[in-house]
Amino acid sequence: MAQIVLDHLTKRFGDTPAVTDLSLELASGELVALLGPSGCGKTTTLRMVAGFETPTAGRVWLADRDLTDAPPERRNCGMVFQNYALFPHLTVEQNVAFGLEMRGVERAEIRRRVADILDKVELGGLGGRYPRQLSGGQQQRTALARALVVNPSVLLLDEPLANLDAKLREEMRFYIRSLQREFHITTLYVTHDQAEALVLADRVAILMGGVLQQYGRPEDVYHRPRSAAVAGFIGLTNLIPGRVRARGAGRVIVDTALGPVTAGGDPALREGADALLSVRPEQLDLLRPDAAPRNGANVLRGTVRERTFLGSLADFRVDVGGGVVLRVQGRPSAVERAGDAVAVAFDADAAWALPRATS
Amino acid sequence: MIRPRERRWMAVAVAVLYVFLLAPIAIVVLAALNSGAYLRFPPEGLSLRWFVAFAESRSFTSSLRFSLKLAALATAASTVVGTMASVWIVRFSGRWRNAFRVLFVAPLAVPGILTGIALLIFFYAVGWGNTGFVGLVIGHTLICTPYVFLITSAVLLRFDRTLEEAARNLGAGALRTFWRITLPLIKGGIISGAVFAFVASYDEFNISLLLSGVGMTPLPIQLFDYLRFSFDPTAAVAGTISIGMAFVVVLVTQKLVGLDALYLGGG
Amino acid sequence: MGAPARDVLAVELVGAGPPPERRLARHAGRHVLIVPALAVLIVFFVLPYLNLTLISLMTPSHQAPYARVLTLGNYATLLRDPFTWRVIWHTLWIGVATTAICLVISYPLAYHLARAPRRLRGLLMILVISPLLVGVLIRTYGWMILLQDTGLINQTLRALHLPAAPLMYNDTGVLIGLVHVFVPFMVLSIAGTIQTIDPELEFAARSLGAGAWRTFRRVVFPLSLPGVLAGTVLVWVLTISSYVIPSLLGGFTVLTVPILVVRTVTELFNWPGGSAFAILFFVITLAVVGLYVRAMGHAGRLPDQGDDR
Repeated sequence: MAQIVLDHLTKRFGDTPAVTDLSLELASGELVALLGPSGCGKTTTLRMVAGFETPTAGRVWLADRDLTDAPPERRNCGMVFQNYALFPHLTVEQNVAFGLEMRGVERAEIRRRVADILDKVELGGLGGRYPRQLSGGQQQRTALARALVVNPSVLLLDEPLANLDAKLREEMRFYIRSLQREFHITTLYVTHDQAEALVLADRVAILMGGVLQQYGRPEDVYHRPRSAAVAGFIGLTNLIPGRVRARGAGRVIVDTALGPVTAGGDPALREGADALLSVRPEQLDLLRPDAAPRNGANVLRGTVRERTFLGSLADFRVDVGGGVVLRVQGRPSAVERAGDAVAVAFDADAAWALPRATS
Repeated sequence: MIRPRERRWMAVAVAVLYVFLLAPIAIVVLAALNSGAYLRFPPEGLSLRWFVAFAESRSFTSSLRFSLKLAALATAASTVVGTMASVWIVRFSGRWRNAFRVLFVAPLAVPGILTGIALLIFFYAVGWGNTGFVGLVIGHTLICTPYVFLITSAVLLRFDRTLEEAARNLGAGALRTFWRITLPLIKGGIISGAVFAFVASYDEFNISLLLSGVGMTPLPIQLFDYLRFSFDPTAAVAGTISIGMAFVVVLVTQKLVGLDALYLGGG
Repeated sequence: MGAPARDVLAVELVGAGPPPERRLARHAGRHVLIVPALAVLIVFFVLPYLNLTLISLMTPSHQAPYARVLTLGNYATLLRDPFTWRVIWHTLWIGVATTAICLVISYPLAYHLARAPRRLRGLLMILVISPLLVGVLIRTYGWMILLQDTGLINQTLRALHLPAAPLMYNDTGVLIGLVHVFVPFMVLSIAGTIQTIDPELEFAARSLGAGAWRTFRRVVFPLSLPGVLAGTVLVWVLTISSYVIPSLLGGFTVLTVPILVVRTVTELFNWPGGSAFAILFFVITLAVVGLYVRAMGHAGRLPDQGDDR
C-alpha cells in the first residue's frame, strides 16, 4: 500500500511552470529524498502534498485517499518547516501540544503524550521554555516532536537541516533517520544537499526544472545516472562523449576520441546512439605508465596537469589526449606530480554509458 | 563620518537641532509650572497654580472630558475598521493592493481643513444640518483609521506566514489559526495603532474646527479660541497633558512594536 | 507510541473537506473585512469631496448657503481676482521656503539617526517622533511664548541690549513654526532611505581619497534622493495645507489659502466660493507635485522603491 501517491502533478504560477507532470509513489515506511538545485520545484511539490498550494493539474493521494482538494488542516501530515515555524508566544510544551488540541484530545492525555515525546527527543524538562530560549538543535527537535506527536500518516520535511552548522547537521541527519525508522513513518524529505540525500534516503527523486529526472535507490542514482544532468548533479564525475558501437549482455562498447571503452550501459541506449561515459573520479586508478592493468580494464594514457591535496584524498587532473582532461581522486600517498606520465585504468563496471541529449 | 573630529562636529550640530526640536515643548511645560503669568528668564519659581486654575476652569475641564470621550469612540471605531481593512489589504486584495493602500492613506494626505469643509457641506447637503457629536465622531474616525491601518499593516507584512501554515498543518482551520496564532502575535501592532489613533483624535484640530458646535468643543478648539485672545498659562497645562500623553504613547509603541521598524522601513 | 493509535486520530481529521458550495461562501466571506472601511471612506470621504466639487459650481446666495443654479462664476471670479493669486502665490512660496529650510535642518539629523547604533537610535526615534504626537497647537503655543515681543527670545535680546526682533505676527514666525512642525516628517523620510545605503560605500569612497564632504556630495546624497524627494513633497503639501500655524503665529496679517478658504466658508458664508477656491488650490497642488516628481525623476533616475510581495 503506497502511502503517498503523486499523480501527474503540475503546478504553474501564472505562465511559469514550477512542477511539470510529476508522478511518484512512496511505499509505507520509506524515506524518499526529493533532491534538486534551488528553484527546481521540490519545495513547491512538498507544499502541494501538505495542501498549501493547489496543483494546476494532477492528484495527491495520502494513505489511499484523494486529498487533492482537502485543506491543509484535514490532511494529517506532519510537517517540519525550514525555519521550524515554532509559535513564539507558546512554550515548547504548548507548541507540541497544539496538534493534539486541534484534534480534541483531552487534557490529561495531551500532557502525557507531550511529556513522552519530549523525553524521546531529549527535551524532557524543557517544556516550559520558549522557542527563543532554545538552541538551533533544540528548536529542530521541538519541531520534530510537534509534527510526530499527532501520529500523522506521513512526515514532510522541508530542508530541515539547512539552518544548522555543519557538525550539527551531520548529527541531526542520523537522528532524524533513526527517529523516522522508529516511527516507521512514510517520509518525504526535501533537500538540495545531495550528500544528505544519499545518506538518508531509501530512494531518491531528482527534480530539475520542475521535471523528474530519475527516481531510484541511492546506489542506482549514483552509479547509473540517466542523464548528464543527474550525473553532474550527484557528486563529481567525468563525462566523455562517444558513440555506441555495440551492445551485449549488460555491457556496451563506446567509441570515443580516446579509443573504444567497455562500460555498463543504460538500457535505453541502442547501437549507433550518441552517448556519454560517466566515470567517477574515485573509481579511476592512477598507474605507472608501464604497469600492467587488470584483465578487461580500460586503460588510457596521459600526463598529470595538476595535483591538489584535499586532506583525505589527492585530486589529479590528467590530460589523456583528444581534448579530454580526467579528474582522478586517489589516496594521498599517490606521488604522481604535474608533468608525470601516467596510465589511468578503470573497470567496465566503473564506467556507465548514458544517453547524450543532442540539442 | 568616520574620524572622531568629524563625529564631534556632527554631534554638536545634531544636539543643537534636537534642542530646537524640543525647545517649544519644554517651554510649554515650564510655563505650566511657572509661578508667574509670564515666562521670564530667569524663571520666577515653580508652582502648581495653573494646574489648579485648569482644574477649576469649567470650559477647559468639560472640553477635556469631551475630547477624551470623542477620542475613545473614534479609537474604538477606527481600530476595528482599520484592522479589518489592513488584514484584507495585506492578505486578500490581490492586484488591487496598491490602489487600496493609496485610498486608505488618502485622508491623511489631503489637507485636513478641506476635508473638514467637505464634511460640513456634505452633512448639510444630506440634511443632517449641524450634526454635532455624530459628525465629529465620523470625522475623527476618518482621520484615525489611516493611522491604525498603516501601523497594523506594517506589522502584518512582517508577519511570518509559515507560523500560520504550521498551525494549519497541525489541524487548525483558517479562523482558528487567526485567533490562536495570528492575533496574539499582531496584538502589539493593534494596540499601537489604537494608541496612535487615540492621540490623533485627541490632537485633531482641522476637522474639529469645522464640525464642532455649541457644547461640543474638543480641547484643541477650546485652546485655540483661548490663545487668540488671552495668554495666561492655563493653556500650558492642557499642553502639558498632551505632552505627557505623547511620551507615553511613544514609549508604549517602542516597547510593543519598535519605532524604527514602523517608521524607517521602506525608505 | 507508533502505529496503533494513528488511525484513531486520523479518522476525525482526514477528509476531503466541506462541499464546494460552502467553500465558495467561505471564500467570499473574507471580503467582508473590507466593507466597513470602504463604506466609511466612500460615504464620508469620497462623496463629500465630490459634493464639494458640485457645490463649487453652485451660485452663492444670501438666504441659503447656496442656490441650486449651476455656474462657473465662482471659478471665474477667483481666477480673475489678483488677490486670489497673491494669496496662492504667497502660500506656495511659504511652502517652498519651509521645505528648503526643513531639508537643510533635517538632513544632518536624518544621517545621524540612520547611522546611530541600535541603542541610541531608539532614544533618537523617541525624540523625533514625540513632537509629532504632541500636536500642532501645543507646539505653536510654545513658539508663541518664545517669539512674542514680550517673549523669551526678545527678553534675552533686550537683556543683552540688542534690538528687539519681530518674530511673530509675520512670515518669519510662521516659517519658524512650520519648519519646526515638519522637520520630523522630513527626518523620517530621509533616514529611512539612508538606512538602505550600505555604510561600506562611504568607507570605500574615503579609501579612494574622497573627504567627508565629497563623500557626502558624490555618494551619500545622490543615493538618498528618493527619501529626499518623498520628504520634500510630503512637507510641501503639509505646509501649504496648514491652518493653525499661520493663524496663530501670523496673527491676522499672514494670509494663506486654508485661512482664506475657512474664512470664506465660515465667516462670509460663501460656500460655493470657498469650495471653488479649495478645489482650485487642490488642483494647483496636484499639478505642482506632479511636475516636481517628474522633474526629479529625470534628474536622478530614481530606483524603484516598491517592496510589495
